[in-house]
Amino acid sequence: MTIRINPYVVPDLLAAIALDQQQQNTAIQQISTGKSVNSLSDNPAAATDVVFNHIQASQNSQYLLNITDLTPQLQTGEAAVNSAVTALTQAISLGIEGANGTLSAANQQQVATQVIGIRDQILSLANQTYQGNYVFAGTATSTLPFVLNSALPGGVQYNGNSGVDSLDIAQGSTIAINVPGSQIFTNSAGNVIGSLNGLITALQTNTGISAAVTTVQQAFSHLNSQSVFYGNALTQLNSTQNYLSNSNLQLASQENSLIGVDLATAATNLSQSTLAVNAVLAATNQILSTLNLLSYLK
Amino acid sequence: MGGLFGILGISSGALQADQGAAAITGNNIANVNTPGYSREQINLSENAPIQVGNFLLGDGVSLDQTTSIRDNLLQQRINQENQSAGQLSAFLGPLNQVQSIFNETSSSGLQTPLTAFFNSLSQLSATPNSSALREGVITAGQNLASAFQQDASTLQSLQSNADLSVQQSVSQINTLATQIAALNTQVSSLIAAGKDGGAFEDQRSQLVNQLSGLVDVSQTDAGNGNITLTTSNGAALVVGAQSFALSTRINPATAYQDVYSQGADITSSITSGTLGGQIQVRDKEIPAILNKLNTLAYGVATAVNTQSKAGFDANGVAGVNFFSAPAAVNGAAASFSVAITDPNLVAASSDGSVGSNGNVQALANLQNQNIVAGQTPGNYYGGLIYQIGSDISQANSEQTSVGLVQQQLTDQQGAISGVSLNEEATNLIRYQSAFQASASVISAVDAMLSSLLAIT
Repeated sequence: MTIRINPYVVPDLLAAIALDQQQQNTAIQQISTGKSVNSLSDNPAAATDVVFNHIQASQNSQYLLNITDLTPQLQTGEAAVNSAVTALTQAISLGIEGANGTLSAANQQQVATQVIGIRDQILSLANQTYQGNYVFAGTATSTLPFVLNSALPGGVQYNGNSGVDSLDIAQGSTIAINVPGSQIFTNSAGNVIGSLNGLITALQTNTGISAAVTTVQQAFSHLNSQSVFYGNALTQLNSTQNYLSNSNLQLASQENSLIGVDLATAATNLSQSTLAVNAVLAATNQILSTLNLLSYLK
Repeated sequence: MGGLFGILGISSGALQADQGAAAITGNNIANVNTPGYSREQINLSENAPIQVGNFLLGDGVSLDQTTSIRDNLLQQRINQENQSAGQLSAFLGPLNQVQSIFNETSSSGLQTPLTAFFNSLSQLSATPNSSALREGVITAGQNLASAFQQDASTLQSLQSNADLSVQQSVSQINTLATQIAALNTQVSSLIAAGKDGGAFEDQRSQLVNQLSGLVDVSQTDAGNGNITLTTSNGAALVVGAQSFALSTRINPATAYQDVYSQGADITSSITSGTLGGQIQVRDKEIPAILNKLNTLAYGVATAVNTQSKAGFDANGVAGVNFFSAPAAVNGAAASFSVAITDPNLVAASSDGSVGSNGNVQALANLQNQNIVAGQTPGNYYGGLIYQIGSDISQANSEQTSVGLVQQQLTDQQGAISGVSLNEEATNLIRYQSAFQASASVISAVDAMLSSLLAIT
């Protein structure tokens, strides 16, 4: 007795056509999207890693934007402090000139006037703004930080606060983004504006000029030390910017290896599946058009 | 009966048998494409011999009852696979829609608005008194709220659709059970009369096949041509001529329809068939996803609100809730919304001064803190994405393997019960030849009788 085979071949043929067409569609989708993973179920682990990858890349991009925003702000602060250092050097020179006792009273007053100009210049630098915010006001950025007030010991009043803002510039990396003006310009270790006021008074009264110059020199040393903050911060921003850019490149590469398609493989798959679809369609046509025994009955 | 007239009788019987066999062959050919048809086998039997003198002479042929060729055990295996196929199909339909709303491979999920919200806070931390950036935080919060609400709404719609489908499936099950019970009556009466159930068994088998796609049917042979159908937990669907309707009743706790059989709630015990898949989607899969979405929404809203209240707004006033405070985890995604509209109310400052970014920095940092069920929002969301992808991937694999088994079993069934036109053609030739031969015998007998009559 012969083994009976299933005479209903159509469902099997349709299943074969559907399978080959599915493989063809998958290959076409992979080539058109450039991805081997087009839905979560294609590769759940890779899709999950893509979530983490996108979060990290997005955070990095935001950190890079923050660095871009922050850099000119710090550069403004650095430029102001450096200009103040230069101005203070001139003030010291003028003070030394006034202290050696060779100047006439009129010239002495002229030097004092020059020092007043320098003080006002430094006062202006201490009240420097960036995008409408006072750079040296601590966190009270809308308040004019320094105003002259002869009633006070240093002749200057600080209206800012001692607040220091910090900013994340990378995950786990935080940087201080400002130094309060009181720490830079009216610090007890070296009161820039106060010492200049003292020198002005000394020059105007011709008393204690040397001592006043010494105080200005102390303020100069202090101011110089404060400028280091900006240099360091800008260097850190620069190196972090490079790190984040590289990190994003790596993340893009990682994403490509996670869900990107190997075009050569996908193209081969498309070619093979197209061949298979054509073959199964041809076979179906052949099988269904084959005459059965009834065709020969007359 | 001996003699020439005896030969005429034998040949006449043979003509009838061959004619009947050809008719059965014709019926097989006619049903070659009929779904569920089992080919009928022709049963010819030799008539009892008759004694003529000292001889026993054959008395021709008779056509007995036909036999439908089917393998009931194989049919039951096909039905079992149908249950799995139905369950997987009902499961994958809605889940593929869930997958599309969380498809992170095309960035269409929650990750983008979630990260964008925290990024807006990070951006504000660089310039905390910027009105534009404060507005940006509120917009990003609204985008996140909209994403949470849409996802929750889609999930709830899918759940409601599954609930409607449950009711439709129960209705279909009841209709099929009634039809099967009626066919039980017809088959058993035919069997009792010594006949083949044939066409009625085929119809019943088709209906059981459909029923098994809907629910996890267990079939037992009750004898006399009857079959008994129960669900896997033993709830009767068909017993002999009687069918037992399933019913649905609203569960006040869930507001969805539970399935009852003769007063007993059998919802949780239905695990297979389309109904099982629909219940699984409605009562387990979507609630699990929705719960994770709610947990994420609750964790984010609560942590952001707590941190907001620790800071100060642009006017130096103590911060308020940024998001509307969710009452509980349940429903947190659907009710997720931004509580403030005034950008100045964003609590960026940690000391009340306008330039302070301490609090907004802390708000931005929440994305890297374990604020959602002991995980960061990103990690928790990643877990949800993996769960959805993994569940669908697993169901896809099962569907593929079930499909292959179904195909194999259907092939086996076709090999046993299917109508082969070649086979029927050979049968037709055989019966046609036999018919012609019997007719020739009659013709020969006729000639013989004519010869005898001519003698007289």
